[in-house]
Amino acid sequence: MSETLDLATVTYAYGEHVALRDVSFSLRAGERVALVGHTGAGKSTVMRLITGLLRPTAGTVWVGDWDTSERRPEELAHRVGSLFQHADQQLFARTVREDVAFGPRATGVPAADVASRVTRALAAAGLEAVAEEHPYDLPPPERKLAALAGALALEPSLLVLDEPTAGLDRPARGRVAAALTERAAQGTALLVITHDLDFAAETLDRGLVLDHGRIVHDAPLSDLLALGDGLEALGLIAPPLSRLSTALALPGHPIRAREVASALASVAARNRVS
Amino acid sequence: MTAPLALRGVTYRYPANQTPALREVSLDVRRGEVMALIGSVGAGASTLLLVAGDLAPRVMGGELTGTVERDGRAALLLPTPWTQLSGMAFSVHDEVAFGPANLGWTRERISASVERALTRVDVAHLRDRDPTTLSGGELQRVIFAGILAMEPDVLLLDEPTAELDPLAARSIWGLIRSLAQGGMAVVVATSDLDALPDMADRVAWLEAGAIRALGPAADVLIDPALEAPAAPGSTAIARVWRVAGLREPPPLTVSQTVERLR
Amino acid sequence: MRFLHPFTLFTLAVALPALAWILPAPWGAAGTFAVAMALLLTPGASPGWRVARTALLTAAPFWFFLYLLHGVGGMVPTGLRLSTMIASFVWLVAVLPPARLVEAMVAAGWPVSAAFLFSATLQAVPALRERAQRLVDAQRCRGLATRGGPLVRLAALRALALPLVLSALHEVDERALALETRGLVPGARRTALAPPPDHWSERVLRWALVLGCAALVIWRVA
Repeated sequence: MSETLDLATVTYAYGEHVALRDVSFSLRAGERVALVGHTGAGKSTVMRLITGLLRPTAGTVWVGDWDTSERRPEELAHRVGSLFQHADQQLFARTVREDVAFGPRATGVPAADVASRVTRALAAAGLEAVAEEHPYDLPPPERKLAALAGALALEPSLLVLDEPTAGLDRPARGRVAAALTERAAQGTALLVITHDLDFAAETLDRGLVLDHGRIVHDAPLSDLLALGDGLEALGLIAPPLSRLSTALALPGHPIRAREVASALASVAARNRVS
Repeated sequence: MTAPLALRGVTYRYPANQTPALREVSLDVRRGEVMALIGSVGAGASTLLLVAGDLAPRVMGGELTGTVERDGRAALLLPTPWTQLSGMAFSVHDEVAFGPANLGWTRERISASVERALTRVDVAHLRDRDPTTLSGGELQRVIFAGILAMEPDVLLLDEPTAELDPLAARSIWGLIRSLAQGGMAVVVATSDLDALPDMADRVAWLEAGAIRALGPAADVLIDPALEAPAAPGSTAIARVWRVAGLREPPPLTVSQTVERLR
Repeated sequence: MRFLHPFTLFTLAVALPALAWILPAPWGAAGTFAVAMALLLTPGASPGWRVARTALLTAAPFWFFLYLLHGVGGMVPTGLRLSTMIASFVWLVAVLPPARLVEAMVAAGWPVSAAFLFSATLQAVPALRERAQRLVDAQRCRGLATRGGPLVRLAALRALALPLVLSALHEVDERALALETRGLVPGARRTALAPPPDHWSERVLRWALVLGCAALVIWRVA
């Protein structure tokens, strides 16, 4: 398996309800993917399947060359780092540093490496200043960043995150974006469930849209967001920069701040508006 | 006409905290207006709402100096809607009726108010559902309906769209706008700056517990200081205009940008 | 069973353990325990055997400690009594949604804060269970092993107990505040939305249970 993650015609049903139907997609190393869709579309189910908390009713979920149905979640933690909603409530160690170290220690990383991984993860999440604090002395957004650092410290090949920017203010969102971008550049694949399409547009490249348990779109984010009003049927709204791109018919439909800004500057110059 | 809510020189300290969470805050909210509170985490927006809603210091303890004047009933929607679930209702209908029932209204009045609230927040189709089976977004809207059903004069909302997908968030902003048009005074703390130009009349920028700026939304949101590293930032459009090196003041919305470039 | 008035269900759940302690051991205790188990296994909201299993598993550690302290002779009567208590409580939680109990209390004129206290206690159980499950899931995905020998499980407990307790405490705090926002202030006079029907026969049954227990206490003391 050359892919980091591969879902092969995965179906998941419990009782009468079919949460996922014939879902297939894969992620390569370093790919940055947004998983979007209205509530109830099946996004959390996908995450629970990938982390091994659920087994597919049909089809297979491959994390590298591991079949998730043959592995327990604690084994998959070697390859998959996860951040669930309400992650700010999962911290338990005496200091932030110790909590971040929990994952690597539990997955059997040698002691010498644990320390360096923790340091790297704390730096990536911007938490060096509070590393020796008790986690519950920190406000919920900082705790969420600590939980993210915990996932980063596993140095997994795949990070799966559920609404990582929820409840965070602009500076904290920036830290999350920077940490994820850095990891992706080093080869970690990212799968981010998110409503925050501003964040997705800025940090991620590809959009997977789930609708009632099926994948209905799998495309570069820029193409997806160019659908404009057509997104509403999928439970989405194009973020402001994307709408600006559409309104000004910017070539290539840029969605990232830097690219939109330079296109905007060109339009302004052309119209002699400065 | 007196403002339904007025804070004058309010300084508030949480129990066992040396630093005040609010410092000399003076603010009044008029009927029919939406006042948005912006600021980084810890700036005091949530605390201001707790003070306005008579929960601080009455329930939370701590020390308050200055005065809080209220003309009518204030209702508060917390950023953590699942904690506001009564735990005593079988159905969404009863959940929404929980507040009015606690106010001791007659059953007829409760029923009418609940119906109105369920329809306004667009959760009438969920009326028979068990509240514990609702998704985060549905729950937030149901609790919103529960607060509305109490027919407050002042509506205090702390991050009302935090759990919602973009479509649901947009309809909540629209609802807030129409509630204000109907005469309600609304104070909303939010980190969704992009929603503000079309939704808020005035904006108060809080920094370390004090009001740094207060005025019409269009005036406050173009302040370049909002883009400082620890500041909440302005709209995405304003930011990209500045990154493009174009002239102050920036447009705040897509349509304003199109106008400027004509 | 669920159609009985909440007060009846509550009285039954209190009377059984009371009888277990009042009646002479070991037959009295065994009898009430048998009744409690029969209640648990009666078809109701959830499969009876699962609820019964919860009760038995909860009681098991107590039996173990009683054996250590008192040997077999002392273990049996006290064990049966404790088990009746646990079984009754588990049964009550399974069969009586807090909402109905609160409505009944409010309709009967109880003050709102007392009604809330009862409801919050009963409500805590499923809420904590859900939190605990979420926590276990999250920690397993960080590498926490949950299957294995006693040492493994002990280590797992450490990673689960503290966050659960802390977040539960924090949530109780927040919920108390949140309920104030919904009008549940001291002195509130709440309107009952749907008071449960109370048949005279049920009222007779409740009084009979209460008076019966009182009479038995007097008989035993005398």
